[in-house]
Amino acid sequence: MTGRLVLIGLALLCFALALRKGRPTGMRALRETRDNLVRIMPMMLVAMPMATFLAELVPADIASGWLGPESGLTGLLVASFAGGLIPGGPYASFPLVLTFLKAGAGPAQMVALITGWAVLAFHRVVMWEIPVLGGRFALVRTLSSLALPLLAGLIAEALMPLFPHLLAGMR
Amino acid sequence: MLALARRHSTLLALSAITLVAVVLVRVLKGPDAVAHAWDGSVDLIIGILPSMLAGMLMAGSLRQLVPTGALAKWMGKESSWKGLVIASAVGMATPGGPMAAFPMVLVLSGAGADIGCVISFIVSWGLNGMNRILVWEVPLLGPDFALLRFLSGLPMGFIAGWISRRMPLRWAPPESLPR
Repeated sequence: MTGRLVLIGLALLCFALALRKGRPTGMRALRETRDNLVRIMPMMLVAMPMATFLAELVPADIASGWLGPESGLTGLLVASFAGGLIPGGPYASFPLVLTFLKAGAGPAQMVALITGWAVLAFHRVVMWEIPVLGGRFALVRTLSSLALPLLAGLIAEALMPLFPHLLAGMR
Repeated sequence: MLALARRHSTLLALSAITLVAVVLVRVLKGPDAVAHAWDGSVDLIIGILPSMLAGMLMAGSLRQLVPTGALAKWMGKESSWKGLVIASAVGMATPGGPMAAFPMVLVLSGAGADIGCVISFIVSWGLNGMNRILVWEVPLLGPDFALLRFLSGLPMGFIAGWISRRMPLRWAPPESLPR
């Protein structure tokens, strides 16, 4: 709840700063906000029910077993690779992560999954990276980021003591 | 009709998956589970809507405040680790989907950024883009998890750029901008 208030406060502050640069800048900020809203709202209205209904179907032992907080290195590796396979933008991946977290997946494993989705993103390599930048760039980029999801998961594991209520709060 | 379907293909795909999920829940778990999941969706949407609106306003405003292309001159081959840090920061500040970010790689390398810097840029855009964190991650997964995820991902753009500079593979940007 406090997090939400902070976010709203920060948003208003940023908007005030944009407005201070002049009315046209403020209007541009509002226009972009509206465009974002129009583009994202329909996705969100479909993605949220998708997440909650899928949550009913995910067998508890996949989330809490394979990807559970105790799944260790294997869980991090499975999550990293699975993340790379999730196609689509944030409207697909984040509701899915929410589903897994609610079903008992470990936060560090979900960090690895999001990182895998963000940096490996096999579908994005095929749809965007190769056509726009060429296969060679895609190769260099993929090789350079291959280990990152696991690394991010390990860092998250190490940071977990700083976030004690994450494990308890998700359920 | 076909063009309309193509433009909204993501939405159609999401709707189809949702529909299948609803039917499966009804068949496998019964009507109570459907009601339970439905209540959950309504709560979720109402719960994250204010944060999402705030996130969008913040992202839209920030974009007016931070210029990005002008920073490419600090991303050359000789920029050492500082270039990688700047490139990572620019990646985080770059909003929009892949249709905006991948052409941005061409803009940056055209303005003098080296391979390490453009890799740092694109990895940190994909992983820590502020726009996505504010619009999706914080509202949906909560500020605590988003912070854990952000901190864990923070060094990744830098690391990927550092590795790519040491890779025995050369890359030159394509001659012309793709249409």
